[in-house]
Amino acid sequence: MVALFSLWPFVNTVILSFTDARILQGGRFVGFDNYTRAFADPDFWTAACNSVLYLAVVVPALVLLPLALAVLVQKEVPGIGFFRSAFYTPVIASAVVVGLIWQWVLRSDGLVNTVFRRLDLISQPVPFLTDSTLLLFSAMLVTVWKGLGYYMVFYLAALGNVPASLYEAAALDGAGPVRRFFSITVPQVKPMMLLVGTLSAISALRVFTEVYILGGEGGGPGGGARTLPFLIRQVGLGFAGETGYAAAISLLLFLLTLVFSLLGRRLSKGDEE
Amino acid sequence: MTRSQVIRTALAAGTAAGLLAALSACGIGGPEQVREAERTGKVAGEITFRTLQLKPAFTGYVQGVIDAFEQKYPQVEVTWEDVPGDGYNEKLVADAQAGALPDVVNLSTDSFQLLGDRGMLADIARLDGALARDYVPGAWEQFRLPGKGEGVYAYPWYVTPEILTYNKDLFAKAGLDAGKPPTSVDEFFDYAERIAGASGGRFAAFMADPKGRLPGDWQKMGIPILNERQDAFTFDTDRAVAWVERMKELYAMGAMPKESLTKSDDVNQLYGSGKIVFGPGSPGFVKDIKRNAPQVYDRTQVAGAVTGSLGHIGIYAQCLGIRKDTEHLDAATEFAKWVTNGPNQVAFSKQATIYPSNAAGLADPYFSDRGDGTDAETLARAIGAEQLKTAALDANTPVQWTNQVGDAVVREVQKAIKGEQDARTAVRKAQEAANRLLADAAER
Repeated sequence: MVALFSLWPFVNTVILSFTDARILQGGRFVGFDNYTRAFADPDFWTAACNSVLYLAVVVPALVLLPLALAVLVQKEVPGIGFFRSAFYTPVIASAVVVGLIWQWVLRSDGLVNTVFRRLDLISQPVPFLTDSTLLLFSAMLVTVWKGLGYYMVFYLAALGNVPASLYEAAALDGAGPVRRFFSITVPQVKPMMLLVGTLSAISALRVFTEVYILGGEGGGPGGGARTLPFLIRQVGLGFAGETGYAAAISLLLFLLTLVFSLLGRRLSKGDEE
Repeated sequence: MTRSQVIRTALAAGTAAGLLAALSACGIGGPEQVREAERTGKVAGEITFRTLQLKPAFTGYVQGVIDAFEQKYPQVEVTWEDVPGDGYNEKLVADAQAGALPDVVNLSTDSFQLLGDRGMLADIARLDGALARDYVPGAWEQFRLPGKGEGVYAYPWYVTPEILTYNKDLFAKAGLDAGKPPTSVDEFFDYAERIAGASGGRFAAFMADPKGRLPGDWQKMGIPILNERQDAFTFDTDRAVAWVERMKELYAMGAMPKESLTKSDDVNQLYGSGKIVFGPGSPGFVKDIKRNAPQVYDRTQVAGAVTGSLGHIGIYAQCLGIRKDTEHLDAATEFAKWVTNGPNQVAFSKQATIYPSNAAGLADPYFSDRGDGTDAETLARAIGAEQLKTAALDANTPVQWTNQVGDAVVREVQKAIKGEQDARTAVRKAQEAANRLLADAAER
C-alpha cells in the first residue's frame, strides 16, 4: 500500500519528467530536455528565487517568534489559557479563510490602508497586493501569522521538559531573565528550534495558497509573485498542461527541499555531537 | 536463495513492474487512433449520459427527459451520471485517457475543443447534416473545429449570451444617462473614464483583470487573433496596443478596483455592495443579484451586450458530444437530439437561467416577454434571447488560445496596465510568447 500510494506517484513523476508528456498526449522520452529548459526559463528562476526568498524570511521568523510566544504564555497565570487558545486559532482556521481575512486587511481600500490614510501617513494606498514584491511579503506575513501558534505548541512541549532546577540555580547565581533565556532556554530547546526550522523550511518551499488567495490565480500582476508550487500548477494545468515539464520542476523542487532537510539534519547532528 | 537475495529480487521485480506501469500510464508511444463508430439504424443498447452539476437542482427535469426517451425507445437504457463542476474537466481528461468516456457527454467550450481536437468526438454533421437548420444561427457553427473542415463535433445544448448589466444609480451619480448604455468597446472605456472622474474613488467602473476581457474585446474590435492558416497569432497591432494603453490609463485613474487586476476580487461581491458600476455580462448574474443583494437588484439595469466593429457578441455554450467509438451510435445520437430538441430545451430554460440553442425553442413567447420593462431579470431574458436570434455569435475563444497562451498574454498585459512596461512592448512580448507556445504545441 505504501508503495502504491507514496512510492508509485514519485516514480511516475520521475519518469514523466524525462518525457514531453501533455494532458491527453503520450509523452516521448526527451532525456534532460525539461531540465535544461527549466534552467533557461526566466519564469522558473523567478519562481525559484521567490521560493528561496520566502524560505529565507519565513524560516527565521517561524523559528524565533513562536519561541518568544511560548516563553510568554508558558507561565501559569490566570487567564493564560485564553491567550494560548487565541494564538492557536489561526492554525485551525482554513488557509482560504485566513487568506480572505488578510486580503480585506491589506487591499487598497482595506483596514491597513484606511488607517494609514486616516493618520495621514500615506496619500496613495500601499500596493500590498498589487505589487509583486509586496505581495510576496504579504503572503509571508500570512504564513508566519498562521504558523505562530502551531510552532508555539512545539516549543511549549520543549519548554516543559527543561528542568526547573536549572532556572532556580541560575536565579541563585543572580542571572536575570534575559541571561536565563539565552543561557538555559535557548540551549535546551535548540533541538526543537532545528526541527521547527526544518519543518518550516519544507512548508515555505511548498507555499501556494497564500499567494493564490492574495494574488489571484496568475500569481500576482505579471505572475511576479509565483513560487515553485505555483509554477508547477500553472505549467501542468489545463488541457494544454505540460505534465512532463511540470514533473521536471516538481523534481527540482523536491531536490531543493531535500537539500534543506539534509541541512537541518546535519545541523541537528552537529549539535548532538 | 538467501533472505537478502529474495528481498533484492522482489525489489527488482517491483521496480520493473512499476516502470512498465509508469511507461504505459504516461502514454509513451502516443495515444492510439480512436476508431469511428458507424450507424446501424437500430436504436438500442445501454448508453451512459454524463451531465455537469445538474443534481439535485435539476434531477426531476433530467430524469423526466430520460424517462420519456426510454419510453419512446424501449430498447434503450440510459444510465445518467452527474459530476460536480469542480474537477469536471480533469475527470473528462482522465476518462478520455483511460478510454472510458461516456457515450453522450455534456461539454463546455474548452472541454469540447480539447476532446474534438484530439479526435474523440463523433462528427454529427456527417451523421445528421440536415439537423443544422433546427438550431439558432451560429449555435451549430460553434461546434466546428479549425482545420477539421465542415465537421460539427457536438449537438448545441443550452447557451448563455453576453448582456450588459449596470447599476443605474451609480450611472446617474457619474452624470451618465442610464437609458444610453455603451454599445462598443471604445464607448465602454469612455464611460469608464467618466465614472472614474466623477466617483472620487467611491466606486469603480469595471474589473481590471485582462483575462476576463481577452481575447473577447480584441475579437469584438476586429483585431485579428490568428492568421488565416490559424498557425500564428497576429494580434500585435496598433489597435491592440491602443486597447492596452486605454486600460492602463483607466486603471491609473481608478476606473477599476486595484486588486481586480489579478482577479483576486469577487465581482459579484463588488457589484452587490455597490462598488462597481458594470457587473458580469450574464443573465444568470442578474438572478443571483436578485437573490443575494436585492437592494442593488432594484438599481440594476440591463441592456444588449457591448459589441465592436463586427457587431459580435460573446456567447457561452454547452453542448452534447458523442463518443466517437461508442458501441451504440444510433441510441447515443437519438438521445442527444432528444435532449436538445425544442420542447426539452424550453422546459429546461424555464427552470434555469439559460437559453435554448434550438430555433423552435427560442421562438417560444417566454423568451420575448419583456414584462413591464422594469424587472431586470425578465428584461435580461428577453434581451439575451433577442441577441441570440439576431447578433453574430462569436463565442469560441480560438482553440489555439489555450490556458497557457491566455496566461502568457495576461501576464504581459498586466505589467503594462501597472506601468511596468509600455503597451507596445507588452503586446509584442505577449504575441511572441503566444507564438512560442503555439509552435511548441504544433511540434508535438
